[in-house]
Amino acid sequence: MATNFWSSSHYKRWLVDRATLRQARSDDILYVDHPEHLGFLNIFFANLISKLGKKLQLRQRVIATATVFFRRFYVKNSYCETDPFIVIAACCYVAAKAEESPVHIKTVVSEARMLFVEEYGIKTFPSDNSKLAEMEFYLVDELECDLTVFHPYRTLMTLCGKEGGGSFPEAEAGEADADDFDGPRYWGTGEGKLELQEGALQMAWFIINDTYRSELCLLYPPHIIAIAAIYLTLVFHAPTRAAIQQAQAQAQPRASTSNSNSHPHGSSQSHSPTRRSSRSMKKPLPQHQHQPQDIVGFMAGLNVSMPLVATVAQEIIALYALWDRYSEEPNVGPAFVQKTTRKGRSAGKVQAQPPAQATAQEGQEGAPVTPMFLVQLLLAMREQRIEDMAHPASGRPVAVNKMLERTQAAG
Amino acid sequence: MDNILVTDPMRVYRAKRDAARKRVTDKYSILGFISSGTYGRVYKAQSKDSDGRIHAIKKFKPDKEGDVITYTGISQSAIREIALNREISHENIVALKEVILEDKSIYMVFEYAEHDFLQVIHHHSQTLRSSITQPVLKSLTYQLLNGLLYLHDAHIIHRDLKPANILITSSGVVKIGDLGLARLIHQPLQPLHAGDKVVVTIWYRAPELLLGAKHYNKAVDIWAVGCVMAELASLRPIFKGEEAKLDSKKNVPFQKDQLLKIIEILGTPSERDWAKIKDLPEYQNMRRLDPFANRLAQWCQSRIQASGADLLSHLFAYDPDKRLTAAEALQHKWFQEGQLPTRNAFESLPSHQIPPHRRITIDDAPSMMPMPAAGSQVQAQVSQVQATAQAHLSHSHSNHSGKAGSAASFASISAGGGTHTRKKARLG
Repeated sequence: MATNFWSSSHYKRWLVDRATLRQARSDDILYVDHPEHLGFLNIFFANLISKLGKKLQLRQRVIATATVFFRRFYVKNSYCETDPFIVIAACCYVAAKAEESPVHIKTVVSEARMLFVEEYGIKTFPSDNSKLAEMEFYLVDELECDLTVFHPYRTLMTLCGKEGGGSFPEAEAGEADADDFDGPRYWGTGEGKLELQEGALQMAWFIINDTYRSELCLLYPPHIIAIAAIYLTLVFHAPTRAAIQQAQAQAQPRASTSNSNSHPHGSSQSHSPTRRSSRSMKKPLPQHQHQPQDIVGFMAGLNVSMPLVATVAQEIIALYALWDRYSEEPNVGPAFVQKTTRKGRSAGKVQAQPPAQATAQEGQEGAPVTPMFLVQLLLAMREQRIEDMAHPASGRPVAVNKMLERTQAAG
Repeated sequence: MDNILVTDPMRVYRAKRDAARKRVTDKYSILGFISSGTYGRVYKAQSKDSDGRIHAIKKFKPDKEGDVITYTGISQSAIREIALNREISHENIVALKEVILEDKSIYMVFEYAEHDFLQVIHHHSQTLRSSITQPVLKSLTYQLLNGLLYLHDAHIIHRDLKPANILITSSGVVKIGDLGLARLIHQPLQPLHAGDKVVVTIWYRAPELLLGAKHYNKAVDIWAVGCVMAELASLRPIFKGEEAKLDSKKNVPFQKDQLLKIIEILGTPSERDWAKIKDLPEYQNMRRLDPFANRLAQWCQSRIQASGADLLSHLFAYDPDKRLTAAEALQHKWFQEGQLPTRNAFESLPSHQIPPHRRITIDDAPSMMPMPAAGSQVQAQVSQVQATAQAHLSHSHSNHSGKAGSAASFASISAGGGTHTRKKARLG
């Protein structure tokens, strides 16, 4: 099970399509002024889970699992009919157990209260352990007891040959597990390792962290998300991109004489020119055979749908565009800008982004969305919802109007 | 309207869910009570579907504050058992049909198995007064290893294999049960010993665990298979030691008696057998024990065929790295020669030798769930209920470790070692 994604509950029951997600938000969307606000809520909730997780000293994988639980819960429920804050706390509590690093319920309640009440002014969070335990009970039921979650981190570390720790600080150490499975993998040949620079690997890791701010974990299998994160890293990480471009320039003159037999890293599937041009990479890059590794060739050798990877990459970029208009605190932003390039936010961003995205951003207007705005929005949504449910006969058309207004505005 | 949002923001949600939820008694008729343990109770139940299938429903003990059942959080063991069972599927593992969460209690609905290894052992020692035949022994061992291979391939260590946890269906198919102590070992976030101080019931506990190893692996299950196989062959536990209890500071003591029981048969382990033994915390303690020579071959003589004895000796390799893996054990020549293992382990038996059906109690059964006819939705409380079953076991398993968290299986006798009271199940 741990090795076979295709027979997992994650694959069989918890990958959904866009229509399902739209249906899941069909009540909520009646109570927001703009559908984008739901996207901001996605970011906000993931940030909260992450913050609470860090207070509870949960590892990144546990935080990721908690986030997936949260998303799954809201495939079946509406924000406007629930209290997302108690759900967040329950997700962290269950995820810690599911990932074999349990935290005492008292600790979760007190840390969650501290975070929600003091930092966000959410006064309704209960102080009673049994309320959280009750929520856990309903949560496990909603999750249909499927508590094992696959994450892109594992694909990333395996592809990069870092399984079992290594020097990468955030890597989930495989301590005490001497007998690692090393057979064929479901996403590739199992041969060869991707040689990413440490900084690039870290960037890919952070991009994966960032994907949990969206609903990608419900839409796509984790290995596709991992490969999309690597793909974006190859573009965004300046030294890596420079190395690829350099290798490509060197290889250019020899391209006609090169063949694919002498690949040192076992990634030499058939790299015929036709096949390469059909890939979704921005431009066909000729392969090179010597140091450094032929990264493009490695990517091409993976047994995954490249159009799908490109789609996920696009969605990640769209997330960053949205996130850019969201403001929490100075130090919470898209991780790959903040933590890896160590440059000014805008400088890093502009440099990293394809031109199309950069110009699109310039066209944005209005103040950034803040947590306070979203907390107020949630409260308003809930109040409105209760009012609507309390007066069904009156048929107050408030909600419908908002949808109408949008339609009319859209022309 | 503001009131609800402030006082109980999830009330509307819960009402909606509670209304939609199908109750256990809507879906199943409870036929009777099978057994109880530290974890809760097991019932025999019939599906109200048209198939009318029989199931075993395991009800986790709800938490109580005084007499009021309250939510205190789902136990790590229940989370494990549920999470693992939802992902796995194999002929030799007890299948989980569904989980029902209702009224603060968790019900796990399993496929029903008529027998278990402990019951088969008892049937032979008490009723038939003869040993288990070699074809049956071989088939049971083979199927046990086959189920274990599946778990190990999925990176799951069972950590509580013992006769009571290994079930057999009426058609003679072995089903490994009770994953309450099992866990995934793939990329653990914490070392295994950090989670559970004591694993595996003492008689089935591998020497590396007895010697205090901080790191262990799948080999601990293989050792337990060896113990189970030997117990099937001799109808008594091969290493029946006394467990030293945790001290007041919850330190794990040196398990001198258990280790001695092992050494008396397998001989004193040498550094030649097991190079890393000298690095283990309890090594010096072990050296103070009297030395013994290996007399396993002699032990096996009247009990197991020659090649079966060879298999057993390799399951009992002291060095976990030299112990057979499940895959290797399945390739052993014992399984390739003479009568081959059969899918129905009882195939070779005349019908009168097949163990009797599992005994269930009805009249005086704990009625925590309304009995079949009762339409009442009221859930009687567990506290009102007493297990009335009694054991007639010659060697009581009641000193199995309770601290191992061993949630004994359907027919198992619950652990008596902990603080809980002893409850015994009547076995047919």
